[in-house]
Formats: sequence, structure tokens, C-alpha cells
Amino acid sequence: MNHIQNHPAEELLTGFSAASLPLSQAACISAHLENCQACRQAVAQLNSVGSEFMQQLKPAPASAELKQDLLDRLDDLAEPAQPGHFQNEAIPRGLRQFIPGDYSKLPWKRVSPDIHSHELCRDSNGAKMELLRIRAGGKATTHTHMGDEYTVILEGSFSDEDGLYHRGDFLVRDASHRHTPIATRDRECICLAVTEAPIQFTGFFGRLLNPLIRRSYA
Amino acid sequence: MLPKQTKDQRLASLTSAIRQVAALRDKSAFSDLFDHYAPLLRAYSLARDPGADLIADDLAQEVMSRIWLKADSYNPRLANLNTWVFTLARNCRIDYLRRNSRLVSDIDPSEIFNEIEDETPGPLQLVQQERQHRDLGSAIARLPKEQAEILRKVYLEGKSHQQSSEELKLPLGTVKSRVRLALKKLEILVKR
Repeated sequence: MNHIQNHPAEELLTGFSAASLPLSQAACISAHLENCQACRQAVAQLNSVGSEFMQQLKPAPASAELKQDLLDRLDDLAEPAQPGHFQNEAIPRGLRQFIPGDYSKLPWKRVSPDIHSHELCRDSNGAKMELLRIRAGGKATTHTHMGDEYTVILEGSFSDEDGLYHRGDFLVRDASHRHTPIATRDRECICLAVTEAPIQFTGFFGRLLNPLIRRSYA
Repeated sequence: MLPKQTKDQRLASLTSAIRQVAALRDKSAFSDLFDHYAPLLRAYSLARDPGADLIADDLAQEVMSRIWLKADSYNPRLANLNTWVFTLARNCRIDYLRRNSRLVSDIDPSEIFNEIEDETPGPLQLVQQERQHRDLGSAIARLPKEQAEILRKVYLEGKSHQQSSEELKLPLGTVKSRVRLALKKLEILVKR
């Protein structure tokens, strides 16, 4: 059943395993992992690499007080409360914090006749994390972006100049890449998309340029 | 003097300690775990924030608390104990960074990183995993210096590839390809 052909590059999985990626990228990887056993196994191996590096550190002794303080508190420790948001199995775990219910109930914003979008959040690096919903057979306008764009397919399929993509497929497109995604005709397509922030220009000419840049980013 | 334990023996005794903690809420077994892991956890924290002893103390206590609370969910068939502790430490590090808003993000990482675990592996896979893990330490020791350096930055200092490339004054592409070469040498990855 594993038809996934498009995976995160090794160094992205490494960054995920080390948690040194921006959280928005980590969320994309996590959504891919839920669908991809091969990458889950790779991450498990990468975690043991991290663990080996940790074992090789020169231990930094803990004080006796630190230990005693914790031992004294052990009986009072309690599991932190689990986050109480709605658990819809159809939605990747890392995204449920933003989606109360299911995809159809979100306040989708119309971008074009074929496309709706819903912004989930902004990351600390300014990246925008959003859902895109392309009507069955619908076509996104040809676009480029300012920074890298990470896409994971959550529902349905789409194709572009380079191939056909299904649920779980993970794509990175850099700024130079022009592409025109088209959803397959049988059903609508829902994607998670993370777009890195455009560079903000300052200064007089820069302020003139910014609206143009923001438009290509949106 | 007792002969120094080998790595495998030490891991075996730590693994039996966590079973005691899980089954009997055994505080003396927990104290053994603390003695082994707390100094490593402090070192892990100090690798990212040199000199920040209070942060290191916090991280060590937080991870050790989670070990106490989650001992019964530890499954040796899914990961060896050192790896499980590493993932707890990593998750605590992200939580800490987020709470202290040096990393302002609207994203709650707990469900991104917690418990993406695989199904229980088959017996064959398990043997393979153990062999691989045993060899991993020496394979890492054999890595060319510049490859180990980058993995250390990424895993211990929590640096992104971009940050690593700036600090080492190397092109981003070189950083990424060193990571890939290192993984290849460690025979990680990936049949897909």
C-alpha cells in the first residue's frame, strides 16, 4: 500500500530527529511520517545516532542537592495534562491543535475559483503554515515563491509539471521553481503548505517593493 | 576495585533499573538511573548553552521526572533505553525553548515530536537493530572529523544546517552533503 515516492531529504530527517528544524518544517515531516513507514524507521535510527552523541559527551556532574530535591518530590509528580483538543484520526496529529473538528468546518478563504486556503499559524522564523484546498480537477495559478515551500498532501492527489503526488508525499520547491499544480479529477485535494517568509526590504525603494513581494508570497 | 562495566553491561543494568521503577516504583533503582543519566543530560544542555548551569539543572530534573512518570510506557522492543532518554531530552529541550520564548512560535511541538513510534518490529528486525546499535558507537568514532563535527552541532547544539554553515563558514550545500555522507558511512538509510 506504500505508494509514497516523495520523501524528505536525509538531512531534513536528521534535523527532525535532532529537533533543530523550525517547528513548521518539523510539522510537515511529522505529517509525512504518519504515512511513511520507511521514514519512520529512518528516524528511529537517526534517534539512536543522537543518543550515541549524547552518550559520548563528557558527563557534567549533578549536585547532590539537585538529586535530593527531585527524590523528595517523586511522589508528588503528576503527568502534565494532555492537550484537550479534538482528536480527529483523519488529521495528522501535529495539526489537530489547529483544527477543531474536520477540514470542512474551517473558515476557508477563497483564493481563486479553484483554490481555498486557511492559515494555521506563523512560525518563529516568519514562515506561514497553511492548508490549501484545491477543487477536484482544479488548477492553481502558476506561481513562484520567495523562500522554500514545503508541501505535504493530506487528502487526494495533484499533479504538476514534474509528476503525480498522493497522500503522504512530501515536496520541497525552492524559490526558482515555477509550477502549476492541478488536482486530480476524482476528488478535491488538501495540502499542508509551509512557505518561508519573504525578505523584507527596508529603505525608501524597499518599501515600494514590499507590496509586490508580499503579493507573490501570498 | 570492581572491573569497569562494559557499555553493554551498563545498558543492561540500567534497563533492569527502569523495569524496577516501572513495576515497583523503586526509588533506589531510580537513583541509579539518575546517577547515570543526569550528568549526561546536563552535558547535553550545556552543549547548547555553555555556562548555563541552571538551565542544565532544570533540563536534567525535567527529563528525570518524565523518566519516573513514563517508566511503564518504555518499551525495549521499540528503542534502547539510551535512545528513549535522548528523545525525552530532545522533547524537553524544545518545550523549554518554546516556554522561554526564545523561539516564538504558535506551534505546540508536543504532538509533533511525541510518540511517533513504529509498530513493534519483527524478531529479525530486532536482531538487526541491536547489532546496528552496537556497531553505531564505533562507526561514529570512525567518522571523518568534519562529518562528526556537523552531526555534533545538529544533535547536541541544536543548530540548523543554516546556522552550522554560518558558524563553520561553509556553503550550505557542503553542510548538507557532509550530513548525507556521514549517514551513508553509518549505514543509516533508507530503503525507499
